[in-house]
Amino acid sequence: MSEINLIIAGVGGQGSILASHIVATAAIRDGLRARVGETFGAAMRGGAVASHVRIGKEVSAPLVQKDGADIVLALEPLEGLRNVVKFLAKGGMLLTNTHAWIPTDVNIGRAEYPSMDSITKAVEKLGGKIITIDATSLAQQAGNVRTMNVVMLGAFAGAGKLPVSIETLKQVVRENVPPKTIDANLRAFELGFDVVKQK
Amino acid sequence: MGTADIIAGDTPGKRILLMGNEAIARGAIEAGVRVAASYPGTPASEIMETLASVAPKLGFHAEWSTNEKVAFEVAAGAALTGVRAITSMKNAGLNWVMDMFMTIVYGGVRGGFVIAVGDDPDAHYSSNEQDTRFAAFYGEIPCLEPADQQEAKDMTRFAFELSEQLELPVMVRSVTRISHASGDVELGAIQKLDRKPVFDRHWKMPYRWNVYGPPGAVEKHRWLHSRIPLAKKAVEKLPWNKLELKGKPRLGIIASGLGASYAREAVRRLKLEGKVAFLKIGTPTPLPEGMVKRLLKAVKAVFVVEEGDPLVELQVKAIAKDANCDVEIAGKLSGALVPVGEINTDIVADALAKVAGIKLREDKERELVRAEASKLVAPRSSTLCAGCQHLGSYWALKQALRKAGGNVWIVNGDIGCYEQGGYGLFAKAVKPSFSTESVRYLIDTPYDTLDTNYIMGGGIGLMQGEFHAGYKDGAIVAVAGDSTFFHACIPAVINAVYNKARGVFLVFDNSWTAMTGHQPNPATGENAVGEQAKVLCVEDIARACGVEFIKIVDPFDLKASTAAIEEALKFDGFAIIVSRRICTLQAQRKKKFVGKRIIVDQSKCTSCGLCVSLGCPANTYKDKKGGIDPLLCNGCGMCAQVCPTEALRAE
Repeated sequence: MSEINLIIAGVGGQGSILASHIVATAAIRDGLRARVGETFGAAMRGGAVASHVRIGKEVSAPLVQKDGADIVLALEPLEGLRNVVKFLAKGGMLLTNTHAWIPTDVNIGRAEYPSMDSITKAVEKLGGKIITIDATSLAQQAGNVRTMNVVMLGAFAGAGKLPVSIETLKQVVRENVPPKTIDANLRAFELGFDVVKQK
Repeated sequence: MGTADIIAGDTPGKRILLMGNEAIARGAIEAGVRVAASYPGTPASEIMETLASVAPKLGFHAEWSTNEKVAFEVAAGAALTGVRAITSMKNAGLNWVMDMFMTIVYGGVRGGFVIAVGDDPDAHYSSNEQDTRFAAFYGEIPCLEPADQQEAKDMTRFAFELSEQLELPVMVRSVTRISHASGDVELGAIQKLDRKPVFDRHWKMPYRWNVYGPPGAVEKHRWLHSRIPLAKKAVEKLPWNKLELKGKPRLGIIASGLGASYAREAVRRLKLEGKVAFLKIGTPTPLPEGMVKRLLKAVKAVFVVEEGDPLVELQVKAIAKDANCDVEIAGKLSGALVPVGEINTDIVADALAKVAGIKLREDKERELVRAEASKLVAPRSSTLCAGCQHLGSYWALKQALRKAGGNVWIVNGDIGCYEQGGYGLFAKAVKPSFSTESVRYLIDTPYDTLDTNYIMGGGIGLMQGEFHAGYKDGAIVAVAGDSTFFHACIPAVINAVYNKARGVFLVFDNSWTAMTGHQPNPATGENAVGEQAKVLCVEDIARACGVEFIKIVDPFDLKASTAAIEEALKFDGFAIIVSRRICTLQAQRKKKFVGKRIIVDQSKCTSCGLCVSLGCPANTYKDKKGGIDPLLCNGCGMCAQVCPTEALRAE
C-alpha cells in the first residue's frame, strides 16, 4: 500500500471525528504517517462533518484531492453522497449507514432528501461501489446507539480496505472510548465487521 | 492514558497524532512556558484548552482572559519579568490587541514571548479572511509559519528561543487547516527552566518598559530596527527554510507554510519532482533573502504559493528587482492563484500546471455526471442545537417585534452561537434592493432575525449610531452573549447610558462560551483550569453602568420572555433584557434529559408548521405532520408552547 485516502462523513455528534482519529492513531502506531483534515460547517451538533484521513509514507497535505478518496465511510447517507460527489475516486467505495438524519432544510420544506436508490445510482454512475448497512440498528443491538461510529469502523475493517492491523485498530478503539462503553464498542466493531463480511 | 497525560508527558521520541493546536501547545510546554493567556476563538481555541488541561500538573499559569487584549497583556507582563509566556488567539482576536502589539515591540521583552495566531482562510469560522502575517510585518517582528503539525510544535518551541535571542515577541501563524487538522508528531524533551521572575526597569536600555521614558519612542523604534539584521541572519539558518536547487531548472517554486505541503503534493501529482527548484519557506517575514536571491538567479520563472494574501510574493518581487533578476513571478498578484478563499492541492496543481506549461486532461463526461449527482445533495444548514435556549430568545424577540417593533426594526447581531440562529441560514440567494426608503422583509424561515453582524461587541455600538442618526421607522435592538458582554460590550453599555441612546439590548446569558467549544467565562463559576471562580452577573454590571431598565427572563418561558421584550421596546430609554438559562448541552452533560417528555398526538395536528418554524432540530415534519425525533429531543418544552392545538404537549 503506497497511500490510502479515506473520508469519514457524518453529522456533528455522530462521532466521525473520533473515528478518524482512531484510524489515524492506529496507522501511526503501525509505523505509518497520517494526516487528518477536518471540514465542518459551524462546528456544532447537527452540522455536516467530514474528516479526511490520509495514510501513507509521503502524505503532507491535510485534505483528500478531488476524485481522490479510496473510501467514503458515511455515518449518514446524505453526508456520504455529499462527499462522494466531490471526492470519490473511480473504483472507490461508499460504505454507508442507511439511517438518515434529516436536515432542518428538509423539515421546513426547502429541500428534498435523496432516496437510497438514487444515492446508489449516483455512486455507480461516478464509477464507485456501494455497501449499505443499518449501522444505527447494529449499534442499538450492541447495547449503545452511540457506538454507531465504531460499527462503521468494523465495517471498514470487514471491507478489507484497512491500512492497519485489525488488532491495532481494536486496541486504539479500546483506549479512546469511555471505559464503561468498551464492551459495547467492541461488540459494535464485530457486528459491523461481520455484516460486511457477509455481503 | 488521556491526551492531557500524553501532552504533559516527558517522553521525547514518542510519535503521536496531534491536532495542530495541540502541537502548538506542546511546543510551548517543551519550551518551559510559565504563563499562558487567551480568549477562545475558532480555529485557535484548542491551544489554550490543551495548555489549561495540563497547567496544574506542570505548574504553570493558564487562563481564559476576558478578551484577547487582556490576554496579550497578561502574557506580555510575564515576559517582561523574564519568564516564558504565550498568548493565543484567532485572526480577529489580534485586531483587539493591535494597540499593545504595535507598541510593546519598541522595548521588546526579556523572557520568550510567543503570539500564536490562528488564521482562517476561507472564513470557515470567521468574519473575514485577514492574513495576520502582515501584522508581524507591520510590527516588525519575525513570523514562523508551519507546514504541518510537526513544524507547528517545533516552531513554537523554537519561537521562545528566537524571542529571547532578539528580545522581541515572535509570532507563530497557523491556519485552520493546520490548527484543526492532525498529523503524526514526534515529541521532544520538556525543558524545566524554573526561572525566578525579576524586574529591572533599565534592563539593557534606559526606561526599557516605558515607551515614553528617555530615550523615547523614536529611539526605541531605532532599537527595533537594530533587531532586523539579527532576525534576517537567524532565519537563513533555520531548518524550515530550505532551498532545493539542482542543475538549471526553468521553474522554481517558493512555498510558505501550509502552501508548501500543497505545493509538494502538486509537484508529485504533476511528476515534476527533480524538474523544478523548490524553496520551502518557514519564515514569511523576514524572508531568507539569501536563499530567495540564489533561486531567482538560477531560474527563469517562479511560482509563489502561500495561504492568505501575497506577503511572500510582494517581498520576492522587491528582492528580484534589487537583485536585477529578470524572472517571471506568478502567484496571487499575477492571477495565477485565486487571491480569495483558501488554497488546496487541487488549486495549486491546476495553477502549477499552467505556469509549467503542462496541459491537464479534462474529463468533461465525469463533470456532467458530477453535476447531475450534485443536484441530489440536499443542503444541511447548520442550526442551533435541539432545545437550545437561544431558540426561545429568538422566538420571543420576533413575537415582541411584531407587536411593538414598528414597521422596519433593526436587530444588530454579534458573535457567538446565537449568530447561527440569527440570519438567513435557510434563505436562498436574494436580489439586492436599491430602495430609498426602509424596507420590511418577510421572515419566512426559522431564525433569520439579525440584520447586521460583524464583530465581537459590534452590535451594541451600531445600535447607538442608528439611534443618533434619527432612525424612526422601527425599533432598534442589539443582541450579544454573556462572554461577548464581558469581552467587548461594557464600554458600549456605559456609552449608551452616558450619551442617552435608546434601544433594547438583549444579553443571551447561557453561562458558557459555547460557540468555540464550551470554555468557561466570568459568568460560569469556574476558570480555565477548573477551579471555582466568582460568578459575575450581567445585571450587576449593567446596574453599575447606570442602566435603569433591566429585566431577567427564562428563554424557555416564551410568554414571559415575549412580554418582557415588548415592555422593553416600549421603554423610552436604554433597556437591557438578560435572557438567562444554562447552555442546553451543558445541562445535558449533567442530566441527560433537560425537561419533560413531549407527547405527540398527530390527530390534533393541523399542519400549521409553527413547530418547525421554531427551528429546533428535534422537531420533525414528515408528511406535514408535526413530530419529535426522540434521539434528539431533550424536553425543553418550547415546541409544546408554540403548538396551538396540543398536537405537541409536554408530559
